[in-house]
Amino acid sequence: MGDYVWFHDVSWHATYAIYFFVIGILAGLSFLSYGSWRTPALRPLREKAAYGSLVMLAIGGILLIADLSQPLRFLYVFNPAYLNLSSPLAWGALNIVAFGVCSILYILALRKGDEAKGRLFATVTALLALGLPVYTGYDLTVHQSRPVWNTPIMPVLFVALAITSGSAVGSLLAGANVEAQKVLRQYMLWSAGAVAVILVSIMGTTNYGGSASELTFMIMTTGTMGILFVGVGFLAGSVAPAVMLYAPMGKSQSVLVISALLILAGSAALRYVILMAPQEVQTLY
Amino acid sequence: MSEELRLSPIETRGVAGKKRYAMVVDTRRCIGCMACQVACKAEYDTPLGVNRTWVPYKVVGKYPNVKKHFLPRLCNHCDDPPCVRNCPVEATFKVEDGGFVLQRYERCIGCRSCMAACPYNARFMLPSHRTYTPITNVVDKCTFCFHRVTQNLVPACVQTCIGRSRVFGDLNDPNSEVSYLVARNATQVLRPEEGTKPYVFYIGADRNTTEFGRDAYLRPEVMELERSAFKNHFKI
Amino acid sequence: MQTPKVTRRTFLKVSATAGAAAAAAPKLLTAMEADLGGKDFGPVSGAERKAIPINCHVCNIQDGAIAFVENDRVVKLEGNPEHVSTRGRLCAKGNAGMWYSYDPDRILYPLKRVGARGEGKWKRITWDEALTELAGKLDAAIKEDPNTVFLKYGRNRTGGVIDRFMHTLGSDSILNHTSVCESSKKIGMEPTWGPDIETPDFANTKYVLNFGSNVLEASYFHNPLSQRVTEGRVDNHMKIVTFDVRLSNTAGFSDEWIPVYPATDGAVALAMGHVILRDELQDSDFIQTWTNVSVKELKDHYKQYTPEWAEKISGVPAATIERIAREFATTKPATLFTYRGPAKHMYGSYNEKACMMLPIMTGNVEKQGGYCLPRGMGWPQPQPQPPKPAKHAYMNNHRHPHYPLAGHGVGHLLPFHIHDGTVRINVYFTYQDNPVYTNPGARAVWGKLLKDEKLIPYFVSMSSHMGEETALADLILPDCPYLERWEPESMPNSLWPWLGIRQPVHKSLGESRENRVLMRDIIWKLDPDGKRGMKQFWNFKDGEDYMRHHFDNVPGLKEAGGLNYLKQHGVWPIYGKLNPATGKVSDKTGREIKAEYGLFKKELSAADMMGASVDGRGTIMKNGKAIGVKRNGRNYVGFPTGNRLINVRIDEWAKYGFNPMPTFKRIPWHETMKDDELVLTTFKLNVHKQSRTAAVKWLAEIAHSNPMWINTETAEKIGVKTGDLVRVESGVGYLVTKAYVTEGIHPKTVAIPTGFGHWEYGRLATLKLKGKKGDGSHGEEDPDLNNVWWDDKGVHPNDIIPAMADPIGGSQAWYDTAVKVTKAGPNDKYGDSHGDWDKHYAYFKEGMRYAYTGDMHRKMHPEMASWAGPDSVKHEEH
Ligand SMILES: Nc1nc2c(c(=O)[nH]1)N[C@H]1C(S)=C(S)[C@@H](COP(=O)(O)OP(=O)(O)OC[C@H]3O[C@@H](n4cnc5c(=O)[nH]c(N)nc54)[C@H](O)[C@@H]3O)O[C@H]1N2
Ligand SMILES: Nc1nc2c(c(=O)[nH]1)N[C@H]1C(S)=C(S)[C@@H](COP(=O)(O)OP(=O)(O)OC[C@H]3O[C@@H](n4cnc5c(=O)[nH]c(N)nc54)[C@H](O)[C@@H]3O)O[C@H]1N2
Ligand code: SF4
Ligand code: SF4
Ligand code: SF4
Ligand code: SF4
Ligand code: SF4
Ligand SMILES: [Mo]
Repeated sequence: MGDYVWFHDVSWHATYAIYFFVIGILAGLSFLSYGSWRTPALRPLREKAAYGSLVMLAIGGILLIADLSQPLRFLYVFNPAYLNLSSPLAWGALNIVAFGVCSILYILALRKGDEAKGRLFATVTALLALGLPVYTGYDLTVHQSRPVWNTPIMPVLFVALAITSGSAVGSLLAGANVEAQKVLRQYMLWSAGAVAVILVSIMGTTNYGGSASELTFMIMTTGTMGILFVGVGFLAGSVAPAVMLYAPMGKSQSVLVISALLILAGSAALRYVILMAPQEVQTLY
Repeated sequence: MSEELRLSPIETRGVAGKKRYAMVVDTRRCIGCMACQVACKAEYDTPLGVNRTWVPYKVVGKYPNVKKHFLPRLCNHCDDPPCVRNCPVEATFKVEDGGFVLQRYERCIGCRSCMAACPYNARFMLPSHRTYTPITNVVDKCTFCFHRVTQNLVPACVQTCIGRSRVFGDLNDPNSEVSYLVARNATQVLRPEEGTKPYVFYIGADRNTTEFGRDAYLRPEVMELERSAFKNHFKI
Repeated sequence: MQTPKVTRRTFLKVSATAGAAAAAAPKLLTAMEADLGGKDFGPVSGAERKAIPINCHVCNIQDGAIAFVENDRVVKLEGNPEHVSTRGRLCAKGNAGMWYSYDPDRILYPLKRVGARGEGKWKRITWDEALTELAGKLDAAIKEDPNTVFLKYGRNRTGGVIDRFMHTLGSDSILNHTSVCESSKKIGMEPTWGPDIETPDFANTKYVLNFGSNVLEASYFHNPLSQRVTEGRVDNHMKIVTFDVRLSNTAGFSDEWIPVYPATDGAVALAMGHVILRDELQDSDFIQTWTNVSVKELKDHYKQYTPEWAEKISGVPAATIERIAREFATTKPATLFTYRGPAKHMYGSYNEKACMMLPIMTGNVEKQGGYCLPRGMGWPQPQPQPPKPAKHAYMNNHRHPHYPLAGHGVGHLLPFHIHDGTVRINVYFTYQDNPVYTNPGARAVWGKLLKDEKLIPYFVSMSSHMGEETALADLILPDCPYLERWEPESMPNSLWPWLGIRQPVHKSLGESRENRVLMRDIIWKLDPDGKRGMKQFWNFKDGEDYMRHHFDNVPGLKEAGGLNYLKQHGVWPIYGKLNPATGKVSDKTGREIKAEYGLFKKELSAADMMGASVDGRGTIMKNGKAIGVKRNGRNYVGFPTGNRLINVRIDEWAKYGFNPMPTFKRIPWHETMKDDELVLTTFKLNVHKQSRTAAVKWLAEIAHSNPMWINTETAEKIGVKTGDLVRVESGVGYLVTKAYVTEGIHPKTVAIPTGFGHWEYGRLATLKLKGKKGDGSHGEEDPDLNNVWWDDKGVHPNDIIPAMADPIGGSQAWYDTAVKVTKAGPNDKYGDSHGDWDKHYAYFKEGMRYAYTGDMHRKMHPEMASWAGPDSVKHEEH
């Protein structure tokens, strides 16, 4: 007994956060591969990023399907008779498939060395890749009843996170290539900074909301969630890399590696907390 | 102002001549007996751990001026249901005549988007174990007892309601008791700010129970122990 | 179907075709209100389910119900809409009743113990083996002394089968559980006005005083009365004031909750009476005409009970007592209700009496909206019946030498008398009784007793479940749960009398046999050819045949069709139809049916008066029996008491040195309680029934643990927060449980609900779901039990509650135990519970000192100084 409330399960468990994380990297890598057509310094990453993003797509797809309680029915999403276009998930599914198709075409073009097609597919793939963090962010934002998720900035945050984590992976892939690292450092620096700023604004509005928002704020800033969100996500995963990369020492190879790792850890933690904390509040209603 | 906006939120947005079922929960009459919750479980062989309806309570006040409030909860069969908007495959849908928000179990892919979309926690994932009903691993929720209502029976929870706190009927029928109750009493709906236009109306609902209480900060530990058992079970 | 076969556009078409019932024009389109039940359809199959009228027996309120059956399985239970009391509704427990039948750990075959007592090792044997063994033991016992065959039952709705069985064996040793239930309430009421309970007309009243009844959760008669309480409160704008030591759901729903110090309701009620009589708010005419005292006598007597006096004792401010008394006396109609709150104390009968005086002195008796007599119906017994046993047992159902006024027995003292050798046992039967869990002392007393093979040489349980008592048996005969039995019913649970039945909804599962058949089979084994003269009383084919003897000749019912009518409707008479627009029963004209009031003012007919005489006080006597009372020249039936009046003064009480007038006695040890001591109360909550619902999954899910309620201020003093472990220590033992800190309890009280903390009763109740099925469990597994998410089963308080009896009513003083509550120490483990036999025994001895034969009796009754002492009353045999 005790003042009794019926408890509720959450909608999405941790696998969904991993999926978000994977999708972010995938998009980020796709941007890099596209970027290599415009910024020659990134040229060495073109194939690696393209392949990497396809691998990530496979992992993400498996995660997404496995997370369904009726995985065998995942094809229903593509049944035009069932399709509900007001659902971000429906758009997301179409987006993923389109992305998958394009990135395969892109890789084929790269293998054939067809520059014109490569450039074209790189652009289309990157645009579709942009859709992925946008849709995952949107997937949360549409839930207007949930604090944090309901901030319209969610898609922006997810794009920023895609850039940070994609660049971080890119930086790890780029190894000792100084030219590439120079560009990636800029990417990481500014996107990590942007993430930090977005987080501050989200937390600010959350703490000033109604009691549900305040409660979400409490959950996100205390206990295990607090360590993950404030400690790993915000301080270690965005502020620290931004500061380190901004400082002159940011050019050193080891700082780059550390920053990249911190960014990856941070963006994973952020996805987890942003996904779970507002659901945790909801279980009490 | 457009005609649409001048409609009060209790008026149906459906087509005239069609049914618009609603439930009125008169909290002044609710004695917290839990008969509704159990009747609903029996009606649907609902598994443990999930509920189509539930009755939370709050003890408010300071000794010796203390009261206990109950708030029966269920799906609101919203006029603007975000769960329906959010389902990628139209496995959940709204029945125009009657206003039921229902599930197509054989179509549901189990993505849980509808659960995330519902501001009221009215939806849940069916576990893989049930006593005798073969429908598992898809999302379920209160159906406003569609199968009973279409046979001219009130929902199971209304049928057994000891306090006669739950009343069910057609809001489009001016002679129905729900119409009468809604017209004669001040009513509340849950979280009206979500714009869902619920069709479960409360009379005399206490703010201590309808809102996220700030006392959730206090984290009453007995409940917390229960909650962690629940979270362990669901691997949250 | 997998889903409602509709699209959002074709709904109308579907509703018109789904199911044969809707084949005509869909009612949906024309009906104003949907029906309130009586039919049921499978949500998946869409098929209409078979409806069988029954009588609920998850608890003892006896609501009329319907069982809906699909694929030979009861899938839904519902209130019977034709039942005047139930009106189609069931409580949470009633809705879950099929899990008594389908409990995976139900016992379905005769079992013989193979390990040590209580070890849990069983061997399945045949009925014949079981009956042969049992008959042998019974034969030997009867030869020695039939009274050494003992049967103790808890809930007994057999309609006389148990008495028939025991009397056939020649034994008078039949004991019930009423002394742990509400017997002091009954004893407070019976000598006063006849029946053992009241029927408050909640639906029509304007004011309710509720002393310690938790009618919205438990109490007699939870479901039917709760319906009327909400009606009265919301539709009729009545005010309800509840006195309780804690915030029960009833208190939380009431306009006012007035916390009282435990056991002091009597003082508050007397002080209210004082105010009413002082301020001339009484109904003098009613008192003069219908009671055995005059207004003057009453006024003189009540002078002593001032509100200031009551405030000191009860903690209820004198001003509140004054205000409530005046409100109650000046609001008409008004009524009063009590249940176990005032009664379950050392002097509970006095408390009950003091409470019931309030509606009496204000003349609210038998009025619309008032305090009404119960309405019931009887039925004849199959003939012939066995004669009453030749020899009286030392103690039984209605008799205990030290508690001559306790007409419902003092069952909870039995272990001590067996231990002392006063009661000797050869064969001990248990039926629907679980004293090892439900009685004071629990494991420490009953557990110890029933394990003792010297004192209890042969222990037979007739049970469907492995309760704590059955687990100690030598032989288990699998009885059927209520959905598989034939039983006659009637309960005064509304203002309309009725007869009802319980009938099997399907073949009894496994080899279980319903009680009356099982007992018949024992007798047939003992007397196969009828030579012993036993078989003649058990001459029936089956349960249904037995029912025919009850019902086929009841006047009125007989014409309606007798048992066949009951099989079809479940209840008789049917007063009207459940109106879907109001939820009430309407007559043919559509108006709500009206109850009959003023039963005591019914006049005797000339035929009744033939050969009757009227004595000096107006009592009308016929054939040595009082049949009515003459008042103002008219011959009324009056009240069902010895003199047909309300006995405010109970002369029988004075005979034994008790105060015959309304009075109050404080619990002696409450007066001397130390600052750090608190009073331990236990209570029931809405979704559980005594010891037997812990394995009902839907109920266990709602409530499965029972932290101890403690007031915020008190908790602060001992440094305890909600969830902390506390050690609760009484004079007979201690337990360790969790605290629930709440504003909703008197600061000098702590409260632990009963129904939790099982150590038997199957895997769900004990939360051993990972464990192997017990040797005695035969039910079909329920896959849903994989979904059990809770991990706390609670802690049961009865080990640490001593057995004490109300010297008048004989009732267990459940709510008087003084305890010390401290934060648990490093060696205390959650769930520890320990009671000590020797200490329990010492308390039993101490309690006996208050009996009329004990030395404390006189000290407690200085006002009875002229009483000549226990030797002056030769105890009259029954
Ligand atoms: N849900 C449910 N219903 C039941 C039952 C059940 O087990 N569960 N059992 C049935 C049976 S057998 C019975 S006898 C009845 C019992 O029904 P009730 O008597 O209504 O219930 P209890 O919980 O036994 O006790 C009633 C109240 O007495 C309070 N109390 C304790 N001490 C005092 C006191 O000194 N003064 C006052 N005023 N109040 C006090 C307790 O806090 C509790 O709320 O219920 C019947 N109905
Ligand atoms: N602490 C505390 N203790 C209490 C109370 C309290 O409020 N607080 N309440 C008291 C009250 S009011 C009462 S009435 C008593 C009741 O106490 P008991 O009379 O002991 O009754 P139950 O607990 O209802 O069940 C008795 C046993 O019957 C068996 N049984 C269950 N169903 C069936 C069946 O269908 N057939 C057969 N043959 N057996 C069956 C089970 O083994 C069960 O354990 O408890 C009392 N004990
Ligand atoms: S209450 Fe929730 S599930 Fe029900 S219709 Fe509204 S949004 Fe959908
Ligand atoms: S879980 Fe089923 S009903 Fe819910 S959104 Fe997904 S597919 Fe639709
Ligand atoms: S309307 Fe039916 S499905 Fe909904 S809560 Fe009530 S009983 Fe359950
Ligand atoms: S059945 Fe009615 S009175 Fe009982 S808890 Fe449910 S809504 Fe409240
Ligand atoms: S109160 Fe509940 S359990 Fe008791 S008889 Fe009535 S419906 Fe059944
Ligand atoms: Mo009882």
